[in-house]
Amino acid sequence: MTTTAPSGTAVPPGAPPSAPPARRFSFREKNAAGRSDGLIFVLPFLLLFAVFLVWPVAHGVWMSFTDSSLALRDTAFVGFANYAEAFGDPDVWSSLGNTLVFTLISCVPLVLVALAMALLVHSGLAGQWAWRLAFFAPYLLPVTVVTLIWTWLYQPDIGFGNQLLGALGMEPVGWLSDESVAMWSIAALTVWWTVGFNFLLYLAALQALPETLDEAAALDGAGAWRRLWSVTLPQLRRTTVLVAMLQVLASLKVFDQIYILTKGGPNGTTRPILEYVYDVGFTGYRLGYASAISYIFFALVIVVSVAQLRFFRQED
Amino acid sequence: MLLGPGRLPRVLAGTALVVLTAVWLLPLVWAVATSLQSEQDVSKPGLSPLKGALTLESYRQILERGNVLTWAFNSFLVAGLVTLITVVVSTLAAYGFARGTFRGRRVLLAVTVAAIMVPPQLLVVPLFEQMLLFNLVDTYAAVILPQVVAPMMVFILKRFFEGLPKDLEDAARIDGASEGRVFLSIVLPLSRPIVAAVSIFVFIGAWNNFMWPFIVTNDPGLMTLPVGLATVKDSFGILYAQSMASALLASLPLIVMFLLFQRRIIKSVATTGLGGT
Amino acid sequence: MSSSPPAPGPRPALPPPPTAGVSRRGLLRYGMAGAGTALLASGALAGCASPAASSDASALKVWDLFQGGDGILMNDMIKAVSTARDGFAVDRTILDWGPSYYTKLAMSAAGGRASDVAVLHLSRLAGYAPGGLLDAFDLDLLAEFGCAEADFTPAVWKRTQYEGAVYAIPLDVHPFIVFYDQDAADKAGLLDSAGELAPMGSPEALLDAGKALAKATGGSGILFGHVTDTAQCWRQFAAFYAQTGAEFTLPEGGPAEIDVDAAVRVVTFMQRLFDGRTNPNNLDYYGAMAAFLDGRGGMVMLGEWELPALRESGIRLGAAPFPQVFERPAVYTDSHSFVLPHQADPDPARRREAHRYVARMLKQSLTWASAGHIPAYQPVLARPEYAKLRPQSSYADAGKVAVLDPPNWFTGAASNFQNRMCQPLQAALLGNTSAEKAVRQMVREADTLLRQPNPVA
Repeated sequence: MTTTAPSGTAVPPGAPPSAPPARRFSFREKNAAGRSDGLIFVLPFLLLFAVFLVWPVAHGVWMSFTDSSLALRDTAFVGFANYAEAFGDPDVWSSLGNTLVFTLISCVPLVLVALAMALLVHSGLAGQWAWRLAFFAPYLLPVTVVTLIWTWLYQPDIGFGNQLLGALGMEPVGWLSDESVAMWSIAALTVWWTVGFNFLLYLAALQALPETLDEAAALDGAGAWRRLWSVTLPQLRRTTVLVAMLQVLASLKVFDQIYILTKGGPNGTTRPILEYVYDVGFTGYRLGYASAISYIFFALVIVVSVAQLRFFRQED
Repeated sequence: MLLGPGRLPRVLAGTALVVLTAVWLLPLVWAVATSLQSEQDVSKPGLSPLKGALTLESYRQILERGNVLTWAFNSFLVAGLVTLITVVVSTLAAYGFARGTFRGRRVLLAVTVAAIMVPPQLLVVPLFEQMLLFNLVDTYAAVILPQVVAPMMVFILKRFFEGLPKDLEDAARIDGASEGRVFLSIVLPLSRPIVAAVSIFVFIGAWNNFMWPFIVTNDPGLMTLPVGLATVKDSFGILYAQSMASALLASLPLIVMFLLFQRRIIKSVATTGLGGT
Repeated sequence: MSSSPPAPGPRPALPPPPTAGVSRRGLLRYGMAGAGTALLASGALAGCASPAASSDASALKVWDLFQGGDGILMNDMIKAVSTARDGFAVDRTILDWGPSYYTKLAMSAAGGRASDVAVLHLSRLAGYAPGGLLDAFDLDLLAEFGCAEADFTPAVWKRTQYEGAVYAIPLDVHPFIVFYDQDAADKAGLLDSAGELAPMGSPEALLDAGKALAKATGGSGILFGHVTDTAQCWRQFAAFYAQTGAEFTLPEGGPAEIDVDAAVRVVTFMQRLFDGRTNPNNLDYYGAMAAFLDGRGGMVMLGEWELPALRESGIRLGAAPFPQVFERPAVYTDSHSFVLPHQADPDPARRREAHRYVARMLKQSLTWASAGHIPAYQPVLARPEYAKLRPQSSYADAGKVAVLDPPNWFTGAASNFQNRMCQPLQAALLGNTSAEKAVRQMVREADTLLRQPNPVA
């Protein structure tokens, strides 16, 4: 499989090697010298790719048309029954809604706060090292660590949040138990946890900007605000597009912190679609139905990605 | 951005920076303080993070029980192997895609790039069934193997390889070096920064990955740190000082890594851009 | 490892931790897979590796969902059986009570490498045994270790079976009962000559008892916490409903067979009982406990498992089976049972040990009784030590009139079914809906659940 041509290009056994068919020659000139065509480099990846990505994607489609179950029993083809059920399942819609709400209320601060942090750190004040560490460190924490810390902050009686409100003479808040508050609490935690990555993307972009424009504007007497708005921010447009797109996709896939903190509660108000997939497929055994919901969500992800691409292209 | 000569912007920016940093450090400070006190002191009301005498008791208890150490070992093993396999396989594939001439290269590349769009979280259900079929549920292999397919990393590396000047490689080829030789002695040495960047991101991603290891491991002896901490409980119920102490122990390795490789990590965010989990 | 008995020092005879074997296996398998033969190698290796894993001499793996008081008692019991002569090495794992535990239990059983013994609420058996997620007990083997059908009450034993095989061995029955303040009850004239709560016998009697208790305490009469709870309302409803003699059955494919008149009668009574004046209707679980501990109520409807917490208070605590107010006695109950999660390739010697462990644990269940639970193993219940336990012995008979959830794959402790039944009941108690509407919604919810394809059949 290393240097020989694919057997498809059947070379008559008796043909002299000095006169290969023209078609073969144009296909790869190096092979004439007995060189590798590079396929072997790609093979290990392709094998893993086929087994652990292509196969599950395809098998998932098949599962979504079956009543496949976690329990040990035979599987039957059910046609579009799972999809029909999903479109009529209010929990699918409410968890999709929760996912979109979370995406909205987490993405905006995750972009804006990251930008503010990067601008401040880049402003040339001493102590770069310390600021960078403070903002990026939470990103390095495993999700369970983050949720442990914040469960403790949100603890209703002795947690920091309600102790602080108490000290200010305010009523305690059910950070994770109040239906109108819980999603915001989770978004706050998420901003704290992951903003560091966006911050670094912005910081890297700022450090790569040519300083000449800024200096020229400064020489012209433009103040710091002025230069921020008319010189620096416009130059960060591409980075903002990148950060926003990555963030939207990451937020849509939320599962970990919500599952650990609230299990989707109170009363399902924080349950994202991926948790519903987990609840239906594993807690409720219905792997086939869960697959169907996964693909409905996948369709949404694709729609959002394409919409984003179009939107930002137009803007350019 | 230069702040310019005025004092006011400098003071404003400094204040904002200090406030933001305080907000960001507060949860960590609170966690550290909590982990260093007795359970009784921790459950006293009050705003101060320190409500009693300092003690290492929580850490002692956790280390004695040993769970956290088992999970840390598993995390290192899993993240290490995922990184090793991903980087080796992706680097090879990226080089093959960048320089190869095999038939179907364009199609396979297009499929690989398209797969970037597939969030792995969407595949947990079919992947779990796949692991049932292979009889791999509750094995390290099940935790590791699905994580090593990283089309994004292949794409990033491929772009890098394409940007390398071909002259050097061709010179070696003319000297009769095999493709493997060219790759190992010419291309790889030139690619050290990008390979390091990719490794760091794959490692962070695997170290912090929760959903898949959570789904495919039920045996506590096989769980990684985040999964074990979230799943396995203690007969005494919730102990805040101990949970903070385990949380901090679990985050130590990556924080230390960050302190050691800060520059490299920041650079790798810039170079790969799209890494991240 | 979470081997739970907190042994004072390192146990000398401990076999090597299971991690060692597993990690080697994992590494080996990874090595093959990395070589590009992932699919074939992992299949083949898994095939030959799993028997090795289950036949090594490592500790018996047991799973449960007990934290807090129960968790510590379970520790004590495991310690007792493991340190006894010919004891066991036990590796205990505790998972979060609720759906997450049951999810992990099912997933580990489906994966074929489950723990050796696990705890399961008997009410959930219908979601596990028919799906092949549990392995049946060998009754001969259990008998060899001194444990047989005759040792359990029929009301409970009949729920341990599926298609003629026994899949669960009950450790306890834990009914939903009433706790009361003996002083207040005495003042209210509710005690009989033996100092126990006198039978009620009619809805009016319980309403009157509430009034008398409210008068005696100067606060509320009967306390019940249900707001945002996902089981309490159902427990109370199920008890009263069974007392009417009506059946609540969930036949495969639906529709649900519920006696709507009886259900409306029960919900109407619950609304009258928790009228918001004599007996508060807006408490949550911990609110009701706190009010009782504070002396602001004379009686509280709770699971017996709250006994340790209530006992701390210093109140002269009495307990009684859930009061019978309708035609026949019935107490809503569940039962923590031992099960054998499905293993793809069980090792006979290990299975034998699992049976021996279960039998040994049953004989330790006097310890378990101190948490309030009624031992399911009748020989323990018959012991004089148990009769001396107060107030446990006051409700020891509750197991004989035990009513569990209607069996179906989606019912049982911590199930979505209980949660869904609780929503309309809670609204009815809070006065947000009528009894008729609440019952209609319960029927609708039950039908919706029944319409879902059954994944275990």
